[in-house]
Amino acid sequence: MFGAERAVISLVRYLAADVFRGQRFLAPLLVFLGVMGMLFSYDPGPQLSAYSGSSALIYPICAWLAVVVATSEDVVRREITVVSAGGWPRVLSAVAMTTVLFGLGVAVVATVWAVVASPRPYTFGEFLAGLGAHGVCALLGAGVGLLFARPVFTAIGRTVMAVFAVVVFTYPLGRWTPLGWVLDVLGHNQFSLAVLWAGVFGAVLVSGAVVLGVRRA
Amino acid sequence: MGGYLDGVLLDQVSKRYGRGPWVLRDLTLEVTGTVVLTGANGTGKSTLLKIAAGVLKPSSGRVVRPASVGYVPERFPSDVKMSASSYLAHMGRVRGAGANDVLERLGFVGSLSAPMSELSKGNAQKVALAQAFLATDLLVFDEPWTGLDPEAAAELCVMLEGRTALVSDHEGHLESATRVDLAGGHVTIELSRVVGLDALEALEGVQSVLSRGSSARVVVAPDRSDQVLAEALRLGCSVRSVR
Repeated sequence: MFGAERAVISLVRYLAADVFRGQRFLAPLLVFLGVMGMLFSYDPGPQLSAYSGSSALIYPICAWLAVVVATSEDVVRREITVVSAGGWPRVLSAVAMTTVLFGLGVAVVATVWAVVASPRPYTFGEFLAGLGAHGVCALLGAGVGLLFARPVFTAIGRTVMAVFAVVVFTYPLGRWTPLGWVLDVLGHNQFSLAVLWAGVFGAVLVSGAVVLGVRRA
Repeated sequence: MGGYLDGVLLDQVSKRYGRGPWVLRDLTLEVTGTVVLTGANGTGKSTLLKIAAGVLKPSSGRVVRPASVGYVPERFPSDVKMSASSYLAHMGRVRGAGANDVLERLGFVGSLSAPMSELSKGNAQKVALAQAFLATDLLVFDEPWTGLDPEAAAELCVMLEGRTALVSDHEGHLESATRVDLAGGHVTIELSRVVGLDALEALEGVQSVLSRGSSARVVVAPDRSDQVLAEALRLGCSVRSVR
């Protein structure tokens, strides 16, 4: 019997191919690359502190990417996909997995960029710490984007406004948010369990977005 | 929900969007073989098809459908950047199904590797049908003959023979199939300045009369609605709406 897991993996391949074909991913990608270039155009400071700027950048970029992935198919084609896949849960799970994969790709690029561009040598442990921090910020951004994208909000204007508002208001809240936990420890050139907890929060956010989407569909 | 043999059962299904008017009320329909939905615009055909396919949840009622369902919407999107061959390959992988010969049978002409946005309306419709025929159990088609040339339209009728399918159609294809008229339930006539209520109630085909002051709502069988309307006007009533 053709399993649900294989259907979801096939959906991830399809959605990724569709996003690449649609080219709407180029805008957030170019913004990401441009800002990364500025961040690392001079000595960004101690190893883990250098990751705080790129971690703060990945959060809105991944929220943007989440909206791109969730709305890559128009409403009618999404309906066909839902019927083909056997229901909304599989499709929305695949949308979340595709978004997280894109986010992790961005996280790898950001982590390697610092190692290559910084004049300071990085240990493997610092590299892994940076990869973890970037991955957590990607997960948080993906969760915020998915939480307000179709089918939770059906109008793209409302999606953009809601995601923009949450992203913008996250920064002033500082250590009151999981993103703030990550940026705080990186800013002190440290790594702690707070990053892990922020990752758990991000995973819950992404899962919650899937559950909410299934209920609203 | 799955597991209902190879057909679909809609049991006491009702649907409204948000707090809007009811699009479907207490509809029960069992589809085995080919069933054609008919009815005027706005009678809820597309909504019923989406519920049968699993795109929409009913506001109330129960739907039991098989595992493998193919769906063709009323209008296949025209701005898809992916090629037809790539799209069908992906849909096949999602279903765990191999390629079919639907495009050949429908006479698809053009490039399978070009973006679907460059296809004609008819060829795009053939791609939509090809992905739906990957399903093994139930087919749910909303106006599937739209944009097809006569040869392809005739071939589609042949391809639907022997399949379990729920199809909406305005053009009289599939004459031998079971037909369900969604507007066949009743016609509601809203009247004001009502006189001769007893005479209206006694007319053949009148199912119910609900009076409120000088207004009344008359529910009548569709095939008798014209006679009831004529009699209401003859009695001097004002007709506010017919739906």
